[in-house]
Amino acid sequence: MSYAYLFKYIIIGDTGVGKSCLLLQFTDKRFQPVHDLTIGVEFGARMITIDSKQIKLQIWDTAGQEAFRSITRSYYRGAAGALLVYDITRRETFNHLTTWLDDARQHSNSNMVIMLIGNKSDLESRREVKKEEGEAFAREHGLVFMETSAKTAANVEEAFINTAKEIYEKIQEGVFDINNEANGIKIGPQHSPTNPSLPGSGSSGGSQGSGCC
Amino acid sequence: MEYFRSGLKSVLGSSTPGNQPTGAEIVERLVSRVSTSTLLEDRRDACRALKALSKKYRLEVGAQGLDVLKQVLELDRSDCEIIGYCLDTLCNITSKETFEEENENNINMNVNVGEQFTEMFLKNTDNVTLILSFLEEYDFRVRWPAVRLMTSLVSSKPKDVQDIILVSPMGVSKLMDLLLENREVIRNDAVLLLTNLTKSNANMQKIVAFENAFDRLFDIIKDEGRTDGGIVVEDCLLLMLNLLKNNNSNINFFHEGAYLQKIPPMFELPSNLEEIGWSPQKISNFLCVLQLIRTVVSPNNSAQIITACQKTIRNTNLLEALSNILMASGVPADILTETINAVGEVIRGNLTNQEYFANVLAPSNPPRPAIVVLLMSMVNEKQPFPLRCAVLYCFECFLFKNEIGQELVVQTLLPSNSGMSNLSMGQILCSGLFSNDHLSIWFSAVALSHCLIENPAQKEQLLRVLLATSLGAQPISLLQQSAVFLQHTSKLQAKLGIMMLLAQWMSYSPEAVRVFLNVPGSMAFLTAQTSASEFDNNEELLQGLCAFLMGLCVLYNDNSIQNYSKENLSQLIEKRVGIDTYCKKLVEISRHEVYAKAAKQPQIKAKHSSELLLEFEFCKLLKSLEGVIIQALGVQRELSNGMSELSLNEHENALLLQYKELIRDQDKKLQDMQKSINNLQKINHTLEAQMKELQDTNTQLTDQNTLLKAQLAVNPSVVTNGPIQVDSPVQHSNESVLLEKIKILEQEKSEAENELNRVRKDQDDLLELMTDQDSKLNNFKQRLRELGETIEDDDSDVENNSEGAENES
Repeated sequence: MSYAYLFKYIIIGDTGVGKSCLLLQFTDKRFQPVHDLTIGVEFGARMITIDSKQIKLQIWDTAGQEAFRSITRSYYRGAAGALLVYDITRRETFNHLTTWLDDARQHSNSNMVIMLIGNKSDLESRREVKKEEGEAFAREHGLVFMETSAKTAANVEEAFINTAKEIYEKIQEGVFDINNEANGIKIGPQHSPTNPSLPGSGSSGGSQGSGCC
Repeated sequence: MEYFRSGLKSVLGSSTPGNQPTGAEIVERLVSRVSTSTLLEDRRDACRALKALSKKYRLEVGAQGLDVLKQVLELDRSDCEIIGYCLDTLCNITSKETFEEENENNINMNVNVGEQFTEMFLKNTDNVTLILSFLEEYDFRVRWPAVRLMTSLVSSKPKDVQDIILVSPMGVSKLMDLLLENREVIRNDAVLLLTNLTKSNANMQKIVAFENAFDRLFDIIKDEGRTDGGIVVEDCLLLMLNLLKNNNSNINFFHEGAYLQKIPPMFELPSNLEEIGWSPQKISNFLCVLQLIRTVVSPNNSAQIITACQKTIRNTNLLEALSNILMASGVPADILTETINAVGEVIRGNLTNQEYFANVLAPSNPPRPAIVVLLMSMVNEKQPFPLRCAVLYCFECFLFKNEIGQELVVQTLLPSNSGMSNLSMGQILCSGLFSNDHLSIWFSAVALSHCLIENPAQKEQLLRVLLATSLGAQPISLLQQSAVFLQHTSKLQAKLGIMMLLAQWMSYSPEAVRVFLNVPGSMAFLTAQTSASEFDNNEELLQGLCAFLMGLCVLYNDNSIQNYSKENLSQLIEKRVGIDTYCKKLVEISRHEVYAKAAKQPQIKAKHSSELLLEFEFCKLLKSLEGVIIQALGVQRELSNGMSELSLNEHENALLLQYKELIRDQDKKLQDMQKSINNLQKINHTLEAQMKELQDTNTQLTDQNTLLKAQLAVNPSVVTNGPIQVDSPVQHSNESVLLEKIKILEQEKSEAENELNRVRKDQDDLLELMTDQDSKLNNFKQRLRELGETIEDDDSDVENNSEGAENES
């Protein structure tokens, strides 16, 4: 139950690219071919281990439909990681990536780790976006890239875990302010910060800080 | 400035009555001052005055000042004081409540001014964004009124404000930051604001939860002294309830975020609680925490979440804490009631938790199981009604999907165990079942019925239970006694309770049905009740239940009693009650509002004891068997009386009629077709016969012709030629007649051809035959033509020609 860190993720991308299926595969290890449209946002969670440390992932799976865009934007700020998903069998979902990325960059904190995911890699025969294109896009925008299949579970674990690793490294490097919960990172109960009075003062400082911008 | 001050003075009270300007005039002057004055101090003073007037002259200030105030908010935002006045003024004019001053000023005002001004203000969504931006201003004079203004706006137009905040960037974040505020009044108002804002809006609830609401709220609760804290604690808990109710995603988050683990400390009761007692605030706080627990394990949630939360609640010793409250002394009744409900939902359908609860002992002497103690309160007339309902609910939850628990209860009633203490669960229920308090009867009957749900073994076991009615009398079985009791008691509630027990018992159990049918008078009672036409005061429920029991007797009848076999009972229903009436009575139950209420949720929700009539699990049973019974009766009736349309409902009936009509139509069409085929075949036959005759005649004619030719060749000058010569014109005329006839024949042939074509269309078999015929016909035509040629050369053969003519006619 106890954990060293807690990371908040969001999953974003066009409707129908398989965001909810990725989450279900990751949290429940099952695939549901017919999935209801996500309304607003749904929550899922799982524990993983990195560097022999327990890390709890809290994941908010957002609705891809345009109608919910303004609602899902509210989740960018508080997330430490984002999975930006497109569908390799639908070119237009790849074409929309720039819009998604701009949106995310604009509303999130600057340290948020974004992982680009080309989903449905099991549908090779219907592929419309080459793997190389995904790689090139990721390189250009400084993202981590991976092709996954929520159906066969290929690379699903890796996608979530690699994102966590990236965040973890950033913490080690001191890039993230782990005492500001608005960054989507929380320290586990038994890993309470060196100075117990810090979180209170740190977070009230955060609120004032947000007041200026 | 001086003039203004005196004006203000006069408005605010002490002044001479003579030249006092009206409120509207003063407001007008102030508004114009705010909009035209170049000096900040002047504008500020005018705003302060407007604020002071905004309660008494609310309509005037709102109508004239709204735009100016918005203008100040935009232009003078660097001056906290003036912004504060503006926000306060807006807060007053948009407020939902009516102020005292306002009332004495304008009595006959019945429209809600505040709501209208709110609507005007919200028309421009930028206004809300503007107020949200003032939440970021640290100055108390701005931040606090901004929070209060938001609260006022939300309480009049929650939906509109929610929609605006949802789409305004960082809107919720700004509100959430207020929970970290160290000036308590702002923080507390922010909690209230968020509570209003998250009402019935799942998206808002999720974002607020995402923004760490639970952490913040638990921090505040902890700082305020947990359940010993003031109303702030209650407000925080109410906000949490808002975030969780019917929101599976948030409940999941609450569970995964290990927030349940933060609850047990709230249940720690101080050792000196009996001295200090329970303050009303503590009771309210406590009730909220219990509500919180119930929300995460509510039977309405998805099964996955319920199971996970139940497990966590047990593992974090929360169930233990709840059980302790249950057994503690001096706990106020409403807390006890809610705790019992909470325990119920925490153990419902979870075997581990149910087992744990079965082993909880009450600190009595000798120690008794907690369940026994609870059941004792259930059948105790002196206990408060809500508490008794809660115990029943908790007991039902204990038995829900718990075969072991069901067996445990029934076992205490079996003869082998009769030597044990007379305070077992079963015995309490049995004594309740036949007590004088009809509410106790209802409770006990329902409780017992839950021991039998989906458990055939216990239905059989309970049949073995014998009761000693009076000294020396033969012991009588529980079911028998219930059936007899049913006929004698006059209280509706008691009757319904017993009948629900019997229904649960007899469903899927031929043995129970047999025992019931053997009770003298039971069938007569049911028949009489079901066929009764008068009803008052929920009597229709009783009649419906009687009908249902009768139906069960038919459905689960093993035909072991001759007088009451399946067939006999069906006939009894048909003859004595009538299928129509029977179905009407049966269906009546599920149309009753009492049914609708009971079937809504497992928990018994009644404000008054008289409302307790039907129960959740029984409703489920009825729903599942209602149709089956009606169908079974229909089948029985069909067996004896042929097709029954009465056993079908209106829709099915209509459908049936439709199909019947269709079949009738198709039948008719089929017959018509058959007839036309027969006709065609007949025509074909006649034609064939005619053709054959013609062929024969033709052959004969050819033969005779050849013969005559030969004779002529042998003896051209025979005397006997006379008749031939005489007949020669006749022969000629005959010939022309014949030709004509041939023509007619040809015409007929073509007609036949046409008809043959028609036949070909109608029937393939016929087609072949016709084609055959056709070719024959053609041959014949050919031959006839040939024959015609030869006959023209020939002058003799009288007989043949006349014969041919005869044939053709």
